[in-house]
Amino acid sequence: MTPERERAIRRLVESWLAQRSAPTAVNASPPDITVLRADLIRPGRPALLDVVARIDGRSAHLVMGLRGVGDETHFIRPGDEGGLGLLDDEGGLSVCVDALRDAELAALLLATVRGVEHRPGPVASIRDDDDVAVLDLGDRGDLVVFPWLTDRPRPAVDMLVALEAAGFNHVAAPLVRWTWEGMDLGVIQEPLADRSGGWALALASLRDYYASGEAPEKAGADFGPEAHALGTMTARMHLALDRAFPRHPQPVAEWVDEAAAAVNRVDPGVLAAPGVADLLEGLRQADVRLPAIRTHGDFHLGRTSRTDQGWVVSDCIPGGVVPGEQEPGERSPLADVADLLWSMHQASVAAAQERDPAGRLDLAEQGQAWENRNRRALLSGYLNTPGIAGLTGPDRDIIRNLLALFELARSVRTD
Amino acid sequence: MSSPPIPVSAAEGPFDPSVRWFQHAVFYEVLIRGFYDANNDGTGDLKGLREKLDYIEWLGIDCIWMLPFYPSPFRDGGYDISDFFNVHPDYGSIGDLVAFLEDAHRRGIRVIADLVMNHTSDQHPWFIESRSSRDNAKADWYVWNDDDQRWPDARVVFTDVERSNWTWDDTRQQYYWHRFYHHQPDLNYDNPEVADTMIDLVRFWLDLGFDGFRLDAVPYLYQRDGTSGEHLPETHAFIKRIRKQLEADYPGRILLAEANGWPSDVADYFGDADECHLCFHFPLMPRIFMAVRREQRYPITEILAQTPAIADSCQWAIFLRNHDELTLEQVTDEDRDYMIAEYAKDPRMKRHMGIGRRLAPLLDNDRRMTELLYALLLSLPGSPVIYYGDELMMGDNMYLGDRDSVRTPMQWSPDRNGGFSQADFAQLYLPPLMDPVYGFSAVNVEAQLRNQGSFLHWLRRMLNERRLLPVMGVGEMEVLPCANPSVLAYMRSGEVADIMASVPASTPVSAVHDMWEKRDWGRNSVMARTVPAGNEGAGDDAVRRHQAVLCVHNLSRFAQPAELSLAKWAGATPYEVLGRVPFPVVSEEPYAITLPPYGFLWFDLVSEDRTAPA
Repeated sequence: MTPERERAIRRLVESWLAQRSAPTAVNASPPDITVLRADLIRPGRPALLDVVARIDGRSAHLVMGLRGVGDETHFIRPGDEGGLGLLDDEGGLSVCVDALRDAELAALLLATVRGVEHRPGPVASIRDDDDVAVLDLGDRGDLVVFPWLTDRPRPAVDMLVALEAAGFNHVAAPLVRWTWEGMDLGVIQEPLADRSGGWALALASLRDYYASGEAPEKAGADFGPEAHALGTMTARMHLALDRAFPRHPQPVAEWVDEAAAAVNRVDPGVLAAPGVADLLEGLRQADVRLPAIRTHGDFHLGRTSRTDQGWVVSDCIPGGVVPGEQEPGERSPLADVADLLWSMHQASVAAAQERDPAGRLDLAEQGQAWENRNRRALLSGYLNTPGIAGLTGPDRDIIRNLLALFELARSVRTD
Repeated sequence: MSSPPIPVSAAEGPFDPSVRWFQHAVFYEVLIRGFYDANNDGTGDLKGLREKLDYIEWLGIDCIWMLPFYPSPFRDGGYDISDFFNVHPDYGSIGDLVAFLEDAHRRGIRVIADLVMNHTSDQHPWFIESRSSRDNAKADWYVWNDDDQRWPDARVVFTDVERSNWTWDDTRQQYYWHRFYHHQPDLNYDNPEVADTMIDLVRFWLDLGFDGFRLDAVPYLYQRDGTSGEHLPETHAFIKRIRKQLEADYPGRILLAEANGWPSDVADYFGDADECHLCFHFPLMPRIFMAVRREQRYPITEILAQTPAIADSCQWAIFLRNHDELTLEQVTDEDRDYMIAEYAKDPRMKRHMGIGRRLAPLLDNDRRMTELLYALLLSLPGSPVIYYGDELMMGDNMYLGDRDSVRTPMQWSPDRNGGFSQADFAQLYLPPLMDPVYGFSAVNVEAQLRNQGSFLHWLRRMLNERRLLPVMGVGEMEVLPCANPSVLAYMRSGEVADIMASVPASTPVSAVHDMWEKRDWGRNSVMARTVPAGNEGAGDDAVRRHQAVLCVHNLSRFAQPAELSLAKWAGATPYEVLGRVPFPVVSEEPYAITLPPYGFLWFDLVSEDRTAPA
């Protein structure tokens, strides 16, 4: 790469950085950028230039689309109207745009990485944050690209691959693992037909429920059967992860200490709330060891989707608000379940705020009833799945208390 | 009631046996006993049914399915037949039947009969003779055994009233086999005489003019050790034998299988397009109700995803309700509990493995929800079957025994006995509904005919529109992704043929039958009807084109937005089917639609060149 070309690409990377909302992007001092790779993965026009650059010690990954001057762009979201700049290369002068924000370029990228023929079609952005950009390209698949790279293979992609290998069919199977120098650049996952997000489904149920004023099981759009199926799917995910990764028995007391420390760091007052001390003490005294396994790590309704084949794990990439580098280690599978339970609470609160922004209707009690029904259903689906007792232990009191503990720890997290 | 149809083509009169009419037909299920009583004896009859053909034709029905009309002691609504080769005297004579068939055919309406092949009544002379000794001429016409332990894997169908499939007979000192009620002994198809006689039976009724049969309880014809006694190869072989008769001597006649099972099992009854022409899709029906109660599409899309593709010459028959209970055999235990909790709040509403209610009461008499369910029925893959009275949103009477709750008299007018019969009230086979919500004074044909906004008129308009959209019957179906779980959107598309009819220049437009869309293609002709490509009759003046119909349904009681990816149809103009209102042209961008509560929209996607999308 000539110094002139590197300079030009550096400027484009800087422009890309400025378009992102990452903390690095708002840093007042000019970023220190080194271009590590700039591969033309699709020549011609539009072309695709795959770039890895070192920015202030972190590795950034972006795919630039190079369009001929005057070519029409197809931005996916309103507001994404800015290009990254101009680049003069052997193909002539081109306008550079972030390929993940342009429907035509995103489809070209997916076809290029998959090694299949390009097919135009609709593109929807499912997620675009500092951890990952996920694009839904319909029956062509999901394009997952990491804007920031880790020096080792991503545990989330390992998990995706392992789940598929373990025969877990409630996940969009990875079609291509896109890597460079041992780092995960992205993944292409099989298309999920007819999907709706778990969060959207829960909100649909809650909207009906709050409007009806009836008991949750009598209101329309009852979520109970879905929650039960979601619990079953979650248990199957854990059983598959247990088959795919090693498990290590851990004393429950260690989990209690970790959770208490996490709560203490954020809000020590919570530990003094009624019942919390008894909960912690009871678990410490239980003196049992339970399996710690590889879990999803950030499992909430937004990571799941309903399809015509049932519930699926639609997103294995943790983060979204907090940096994704905080990959979870091994933990009790019940921590994932607690995440889900917590997100049901979040959904009931969100729907209540939607319906009653001023808080005049006092929907908290109603919301609690919806949560209770669906928590019971989810846990029934989860705990009645054959084989799951090998991961949770048979003692329902300990299970209940561990769920309370993990949910308590989840509740003080700010994401 | 309607203006006479203008002449169309030679094929329109006598039925053209080469067309697959059943693939785009609308069926109407009629209980003769409950439809219209012409001789005022308290029971509906064939003359009554014939008198009401005007109404059935006006509604836009293509084929009448007659529930059993044979002599019967009526211990199971006529499905307990005591003479296969005759008409129940309460209904009239074979002459009345032939007159009815001829009149129906003159109007372009076909008629199929319910054929109960599995069993007879215990009052049937065959059984009376068979049970009389172990060595009479009919001794082996039924399935006898010395003990009641054989075939333990065969489930009991009516678990709430029958404890075993075997019943002891004191005279013969043996047990006889019955898959349904103990008074309905199963015929022994391993006896060639029985099988041959049933073939004779088929020929007998087809010779009289029937256009086919709905085969009742078809999976149970044979029994074999170590099996459940359902869907056995021998049963399929026998159906193939009947089909062969039809193909050889009665082309254009059909077989419709009643086989309550999972779609992949039921699809076996199509054979290699050499068994039944149609099969009921039982699991779809409860899932439509489940979807609308859960306000999400997945119960429907799940079962559609598990429905196998079938041969081009076959078709599913789909329905919302029928003369039986809303069967919940093909759902999980959890879903059954859910459905019963939601739709059978009073325990008296439960019947066997399901719910004994009509459509309107199941939906709390909600007009919008009823329209939504009909929109699904008329647009999902299959030929719709409408149960008599449901076109009025008739109610039921849960206090009547067994499935009589949904078999009350048709409500024709607010007059005595709902216009069904002039007989004394006490003479009626069942009391008509008289409650303030569903009673005949509130719900009847006469009132709804006079009200253009009635459900009856709405449904008739829908049937007429569907007639112009044959892809609803046989087109490809593509479920469209939609992030909103309450929205079910799909595209029905395929090749169709517009059958053109010449119109004399002097013919006033008002003479054109109002169910036909007048469309001048510059040929001094109107489009008389639209059929699936390949269903044109010999000599028809046909214009082929591609048809794509976008169907979007809101399963929620709240208004819902939907964004659909229609890029494949970019450039097409969606015309809302009922109003022919053009909507914004489809582009590469997601297409935004807003749906009212329980609302639906059908769009005919018209592109300039009328060709299929790439």
